[in-house]
Amino acid sequence: MHCNCSYSDKNIFLPKETEILKVEQPTELEKHFTLKMKDGATMAFAPGQILEVSLFGYGEIPIGFASSPTRKDSFDIVVRSVGRVSKAINKLEKGQSVFVRGPLGSGFDLDKLRGHDVLIIAGGIGLCPTRSLIQYIMDRRSEFKKFTLFYGAKDPSQQLFLSDLANWRKSNDVDYYETVDKGDEKWTGNVGVITTLFKKTQISPDTRAVICGPPVMFKFVIAELDKVGIPRSNVYVDLERRMKCGVGKCGHCQINDKYVCVDGPVFSYADIEHLEEAL
Amino acid sequence: MMNAYFITEKDFKNFVSAMVQSLTVIGPVAKRKKFVFAKLESAEDLRLDYDVTLLPPKKEFFPPSQDMVRFEKDKYEGCISPQEKILLGVHFYDIKAIDMTDRLFREKNEDWNYLANREAATIIGSNIQTISERAFWGTVGKDVPPKGHDGFITKINGGYVYETRGDKGEALVKFGSFAKATDAQVKEARAVNENVMGKCPEKLNRSSKEIAEKVRKAFSKEAFWEALAEDCFSCGSCNIVCPTCYCFDVQDNWNLDQVSGARTRYWDACLTEDFAKVSLGGGATENFREERAERFRHRIMRKASYLNEKLGGPACVGCGRCSAACTSDIADPVNVINKIMEA
Ligand code: SF4
Ligand code: SF4
Ligand code: FES
Repeated sequence: MHCNCSYSDKNIFLPKETEILKVEQPTELEKHFTLKMKDGATMAFAPGQILEVSLFGYGEIPIGFASSPTRKDSFDIVVRSVGRVSKAINKLEKGQSVFVRGPLGSGFDLDKLRGHDVLIIAGGIGLCPTRSLIQYIMDRRSEFKKFTLFYGAKDPSQQLFLSDLANWRKSNDVDYYETVDKGDEKWTGNVGVITTLFKKTQISPDTRAVICGPPVMFKFVIAELDKVGIPRSNVYVDLERRMKCGVGKCGHCQINDKYVCVDGPVFSYADIEHLEEAL
Repeated sequence: MMNAYFITEKDFKNFVSAMVQSLTVIGPVAKRKKFVFAKLESAEDLRLDYDVTLLPPKKEFFPPSQDMVRFEKDKYEGCISPQEKILLGVHFYDIKAIDMTDRLFREKNEDWNYLANREAATIIGSNIQTISERAFWGTVGKDVPPKGHDGFITKINGGYVYETRGDKGEALVKFGSFAKATDAQVKEARAVNENVMGKCPEKLNRSSKEIAEKVRKAFSKEAFWEALAEDCFSCGSCNIVCPTCYCFDVQDNWNLDQVSGARTRYWDACLTEDFAKVSLGGGATENFREERAERFRHRIMRKASYLNEKLGGPACVGCGRCSAACTSDIADPVNVINKIMEA
């Protein structure tokens, strides 16, 4: 390697090394990693922000933080095996290194949520990036009013963060409701799409709502929130797009003239509802 | 520092020769019946009478493939290593395009993989002596002046006027026998550059602002875009040849030794099918611009509307390269824009 390194601190594509402290496998496709910066620095980020996570020789993928910045010693990501990079990362074990660039993008504006009722609606792996916000609210519970969480998974085997779910079911700090599209012999809970959970509780129009999930979910959930009477400027969406650079250059993540990697991935719905390519 | 010099036709050749001997000089050269920007081996290679080059000069700062990080076992480092070079004979529309990519790579997160190459370059423009068949630079983005270059050469009777814009351009004067240009020579050069503006074969008839608004409003005319894109092969040629397109893909590759390699960016094209496609796992995918009409529309929106606020005008400089590169001849922005404006 013979590089001119005078620019190395200016290279926005140069990742940093992290060490894997813990690996869990919640589902067949997902691995849950707890990471720590190799240089000992604290990863300072806002819930909703993203990282470009990479392994040399394989490539980079965009992933949202799955833990709260209030937990300073380490941070979590969940990697779903879908392609070459994610499959390679998911073979890594405790003690090995994975590389990250970030935090990138803009996350949740916590000041807009503080002092209000908060409703989080997470579908599928949409629970991973929202877990950062959920933990944050739970860690600073007194700063928020009523906290409601809706979580929908395809079937019980797809549920993530099982020990979190067990805690939330019992906790007085969160009104937790869950559903699966299709149950199994052991499932005794709600069966149906995520919008069926709106019947289970009373949501006030003065709620700040957060939606994260598969693309098909957004329109149906927004229709429900409209019925409740929550203004669209109080609805936040956490969007997924193809990302390559994460720094607003490569063009892959564009929604009309917005860049999901810098302007988002969290948007106020009022800011993007006029964009034809958004939902 | 802005100075105007004059050099005779004969001395100009010597000037180019002197530069070629001691510097890396990139300029328009003939390649079969077309032209390309390439390293000059001698002054004779330089063809300032070119109409347009196949690829724009952006490849000198943003090459078709560029390593950004190199790795070997558990070590890795960035690899920004700019080479000083002179870009000689850049037409004004390409100067405008370079200024746009400069701004786009600088905004928000400064990308020094591009900017270092850019800063190491000296850009010397030249007047348009031959007009290409698909050009419309005379009527596009008229409020956006060419800037960011270091000097400009205009052919007038008996020689060339060389106008410098700052130190980098001034530093080249020592390579030739230049005299101070007279007012009459400067005036003649100005007239040469003004006269050519009315001579493009294709024209836009409305202001950039009117176009930006009406094109944006045409977004939801699905049938219109479908008809336009009917013969699109999703080949991405219209992106690849465009001086203001800067999308890229990033990929890791191993060297043959299988222990070292590089993270490299490659030119990408938003017209290609998978540009906005993500895998969701379990074989499921989501393509956020699945239809070719959606991708075709996205390019036109970017060229005529989306970036206007940021750039002060459209992100199209009217070089006509996309029109010439498209096998189906559907990529021409003039055709699309004029259809929208007349509707
Ligand atoms: S518009 Fe023409 S050049 Fe562009 S992708 Fe389609 S066929 Fe290729
Ligand atoms: S869109 Fe076509 S005419 Fe406009 S700058 Fe790009 S290649 Fe040139
Ligand atoms: S991911 Fe490259 S521009 Fe957003």
